[in-house]
Amino acid sequence: MSSALWIAVLVTALGTLAMRMLPLLWMRRHLRQQANSDVDALPQWLGILGPLMIAAVLGVSLIPQQPDATSWSATLLGCIVTFGVWYRTRTLGWPVAAGVATFGMVIVVGSML
Amino acid sequence: MSSQALLQSSRPWLAGMRDAIPLLGAYIPIAISFGLISVQAGFNAWETIVISTLIYAGASQFLFVGMAAGGAPLWLTVAMTLLINIRHIVYAPNIAPWLTRNRWWPWLMHGLTDQIFALAHSRLPHMPEQQRIGWYTGAAGLAWGSWVAGSALGAIAGDWMIKSWPLLSEVMPFALPSLFLVLLIPRCTSIRWVLALSVATFAALALALFGYSNVAIPLAAVLGAAAFYTIQPRGGSTT
Repeated sequence: MSSALWIAVLVTALGTLAMRMLPLLWMRRHLRQQANSDVDALPQWLGILGPLMIAAVLGVSLIPQQPDATSWSATLLGCIVTFGVWYRTRTLGWPVAAGVATFGMVIVVGSML
Repeated sequence: MSSQALLQSSRPWLAGMRDAIPLLGAYIPIAISFGLISVQAGFNAWETIVISTLIYAGASQFLFVGMAAGGAPLWLTVAMTLLINIRHIVYAPNIAPWLTRNRWWPWLMHGLTDQIFALAHSRLPHMPEQQRIGWYTGAAGLAWGSWVAGSALGAIAGDWMIKSWPLLSEVMPFALPSLFLVLLIPRCTSIRWVLALSVATFAALALALFGYSNVAIPLAAVLGAAAFYTIQPRGGSTT
């Protein structure tokens, strides 16, 4: 790798870190300036945008690697099972494990048909 | 042991690592793919590891090695790589109210990926203040380590691994949508939130399907916010 490419890697790394770090420093100063640094100090639009960003990441991640009928069916069933297991257990790990197992079973069965 | 019990444990970093385990199902196969593509693009294994360690930004790393290998101007390569990650600027402010005054927090933001943000945004508010930095370090550290290790594996033996276990690399990434679903369900506290979250989810899905993956997340979140503000709350509550 050339010196110029190494510099590009370092600039990209610093830029990525800055995008994650500087907004925190800004928000910490904003919170300090408020008399009370509780959750209400968070601007309302920012508090609303957080869960919506997670929902958007969910939407992007729902697309299977091989987007065919079997994979979409596996995605749908995997989501249903994930929800069902979460509803019963209210935990983080079991619903994910059950969802992945269901997804995998549908893919395997689909490949045998 | 339930996640709630783990949060009360004396080793919060361990609870963080356990909470982050579902992420590995997606991180490792994608990191292996990155390692493989990086080597095919002309980078050696050490360079691949350095890129994953320092940049640590998923899709933008693929873009970086692709553009660099394709001979694109380096300033454009850096600019495009950073542009893809612009959505990250809203992550840290969202979790800031739950971060303690510890001086290490700003540096720990290196590990604030989409997935760690989603996890931290859901978990940090529900744990004692003194456990938060340990929990975050455990969760983000495991995710970062798995990404770097996966990249190294991909650079060294990615071709052989993908040929040996093609099903695994297809199935394991489903851990991501499954995890996000579990994190979002408790936020469906009203019709207003259900509709706004649904708009954001399906808008992102549609945008990504039509090839607009890079803008899908911020644009879909804005559309979800528009839906949220369009729908009038019952009884005047804003959230």
